[in-house]
Amino acid sequence: MNVAAESSKWRTARVKERKVSLGLLLRLGIGLLVLAFFAYRFYGVLARQAYGAETWARLAISGLIIGSVYAVIALGYTLVYGILFMINFAHGEVMMIGAFAGYFVLEAFAASGFSARQPVLAILITFLAGMTVSMLVGISLERIAYRPLRGAPRLVPLISAIGASIFLQNAAQLMFGSMRRTYSNPPALERNVGWVLDVAGKPVSITYTGVLTFAFSVVLMIGLYLLVQRTRLGRAMRAVAENKEAAALMGVDVDRVIANTFAISGVLAGAAGVMWGLHNGIIYHYVGFIPGLKAFTAAVLGGIGNIPGAMLGGIVLGIAESLAPAVLDIPFQLKDVLAFAVLVLVLIFRPTGILGEVLAEEKV
Amino acid sequence: MGLRTGIRTGLIAAIVTIFLILIGVHMLMGRLLQSWFYVPAHWPGVWLMVVLLGLWAGSRAVSQMKARSWGNALLAGASAGFVQGALVGAALYLLASITQAGVDLRAWLTQMSKESIGALTLGFAPLPAAGFIGGVLLVSAMAGAAWREWRLRVHAARLARGERIVSLRERLLGIPAVAQVSSNPLSRRVLMGVFMVLLLIAPFFLSQYWNYNLGTVGIYVILGLGLNIVVGMAGLLDLGYVAFFAVGAYTMALLTAPQPHHIQMSFWLALPIGVLLAAIAGILLGIPVLRMRGDYLAIVTLGFGEIIRILSKSDVLTGFTGGPRGVRNVGHPVLFGKDVGNEFYFFYFILIGVILAIIITRRLEHSRVGRAWRAMREDEKVAQAMGIYTLKYKLMAFAMGAALAGFSGAIFASRNSFTGPEDFVLLVSINVLALVIVGGMGSIPGVILGAFVLKGLPEILRELEDYRVLVFGALLVVMMIVRPQGLWPASRPQLERPRPGEEALEEAPAELVEGEVGS
Repeated sequence: MNVAAESSKWRTARVKERKVSLGLLLRLGIGLLVLAFFAYRFYGVLARQAYGAETWARLAISGLIIGSVYAVIALGYTLVYGILFMINFAHGEVMMIGAFAGYFVLEAFAASGFSARQPVLAILITFLAGMTVSMLVGISLERIAYRPLRGAPRLVPLISAIGASIFLQNAAQLMFGSMRRTYSNPPALERNVGWVLDVAGKPVSITYTGVLTFAFSVVLMIGLYLLVQRTRLGRAMRAVAENKEAAALMGVDVDRVIANTFAISGVLAGAAGVMWGLHNGIIYHYVGFIPGLKAFTAAVLGGIGNIPGAMLGGIVLGIAESLAPAVLDIPFQLKDVLAFAVLVLVLIFRPTGILGEVLAEEKV
Repeated sequence: MGLRTGIRTGLIAAIVTIFLILIGVHMLMGRLLQSWFYVPAHWPGVWLMVVLLGLWAGSRAVSQMKARSWGNALLAGASAGFVQGALVGAALYLLASITQAGVDLRAWLTQMSKESIGALTLGFAPLPAAGFIGGVLLVSAMAGAAWREWRLRVHAARLARGERIVSLRERLLGIPAVAQVSSNPLSRRVLMGVFMVLLLIAPFFLSQYWNYNLGTVGIYVILGLGLNIVVGMAGLLDLGYVAFFAVGAYTMALLTAPQPHHIQMSFWLALPIGVLLAAIAGILLGIPVLRMRGDYLAIVTLGFGEIIRILSKSDVLTGFTGGPRGVRNVGHPVLFGKDVGNEFYFFYFILIGVILAIIITRRLEHSRVGRAWRAMREDEKVAQAMGIYTLKYKLMAFAMGAALAGFSGAIFASRNSFTGPEDFVLLVSINVLALVIVGGMGSIPGVILGAFVLKGLPEILRELEDYRVLVFGALLVVMMIVRPQGLWPASRPQLERPRPGEEALEEAPAELVEGEVGS
């Protein structure tokens, strides 16, 4: 008995080993190729001394800022994925709608002169408006497109989410037109204006909008972390993520917790949308799509379902995307390709992300 | 009870109404009525939409109530209509008074032109106009509530008499009646024959424009059949399917066009090369990504699709692919010394392609490979346990799907004499996915039906142009909720026939029962 079990264990182990080694070889090959390419290009850039220290600093700072926006969006993905185990494909569009809401509020404030008189209040209200609208969109999204599909096979809600994403994008295009709109920042918070640092004798500016974006992202991340770890709702969310049936038996209203999760992820997306508008300036109906994909990449990079992972993933991705064109000496227009490449590489080499997935075992 | 339901429904209805007005659907309705029924003005269509929305609100409010009584129903209808009317009226008042003040709203809300708002105010001042639209909504909501209450009562009476009731919903959803008619092998053959003959002679009677559109539908049928192998049969959600389409198209373009490479190969040689390269691309992409979980696979393939497009557009490859300007003068097929590169001949090439694709798909479906795919789709772990080397079969599915996409891409490029990065936007992948899902995943007739519905109908309904993609999105969501198996679902082989006297279907899992509809 014991011997038989031992031998069967040994046999499965051997079979498994052979299979793994084949995949491993392949991965190793791809990995070495990527590393060689990376090293070769980076060496070329360094040898030519193509960029000075100030350029590297500038790129790193802009990467940090954009990365913090990705991180905030990624938190929304990670929350929903952790609980429902689905990619909320329309999350980027929720962000886009938040950006539009903020745009209209800010536009009204700029026209009435309110944002010149009370910049702090104006920005605060803009954020609130963007977050509220996104929250409402997130809740309705869950109610209309996802809730009826709970318990359906995995692909079904994903396709529904793709549909919702297309719908929201085109609804925004039909409503607001496809022109690019510029956020009218208050005079105190002009874009591309800020403190100037001195790096190796050259000026490197840190914009006010960038600082605001970064600081607010950090506040949101800490807030979310505390919410999930310390509050009753957070506990309910973790319980539902672990096991819906058991949570329901323990008296947790699963539907409400899921709706709340979408509300929170909507709030985060709305904040990210307004930050995007204030910092980057230009919004249009397609503005949420690519950041949404990248934020998903960030969530996967950090380990999906893992809140600190999403933050880390966002910032790493932002910096990587900002530095990589310079490091690899390729045109800047290819930076979107790089983000996707990062996603593919992460999924090949470490599908559980940097900090590891936090998912209930049985659902995987 | 009625009041609360009414208010909640009214709120939802108001949001929907305002949304539809903001995206200009009322004007669309006006134009449609004008062009279809020769209505002289567009306001009847506009107000038809308003009244319909009111009726819907009232009817929905009543159907959500639990306690049945006329008083309750009217209360629900009135409260729904009041809330809807008040909110829509307020929105109209706002829009109309801003417009009246001389501000052009179109700078922010592109559909809110003067005419668009004028169609709703009917030339009244903002306040009476708001009151009028509110009143119309209130009255129609009450009418809708009364109608629904009456229907529910009739329904209840018939139930009490023990009649079997087939609701409109069920009837509408029973569209595979078509499939049931054609389940008789003889009538199916006759129908197929008539259909084929019609298709064969169609190009002689159709204009160039319609031949072109029919060809486009055909190309999408091939694409759909290819994606159907990947998504429908093997259950791998590929959102970057357009990448293989692009490989086929670029292969054809670069090999046959005078610029940028001056190879100018024959169409007939470039076509198989395109198919081959697309299949190879499928395998190359598949090797690293096919081990991933289902939804990761979706995102990664989507990323690959975008990578191919961005790369083909970028400056890095301008010398190789022609960059953002694309490739012009793609070669046409030459047959017996004659250029057969117009819509008329292409229709037949595409038709042959479609027939080939159908034969391949059918043969695959009933082969060992097809059974392995089905097993994998249903449960990967069990399939693996039964000795199916899933990676191999996944790669086969990817390669087959990619080969079909490459074929249609090559034909597409040659037919347009042009190809460029903008032909390969994400929307193409989404379109193909949508037609596979709307038609019915895994079902060949479903895919063909889906292609006609999603690619053919919008050409007929040209007025819908701007709203097409919006409807796609909504359709994907609605299909998933209402009819995830598609319009013409795949018939599954019946696994266990119920013995006479046994109600086996009652206990069968829901999936199987759904599968029965089309068989």
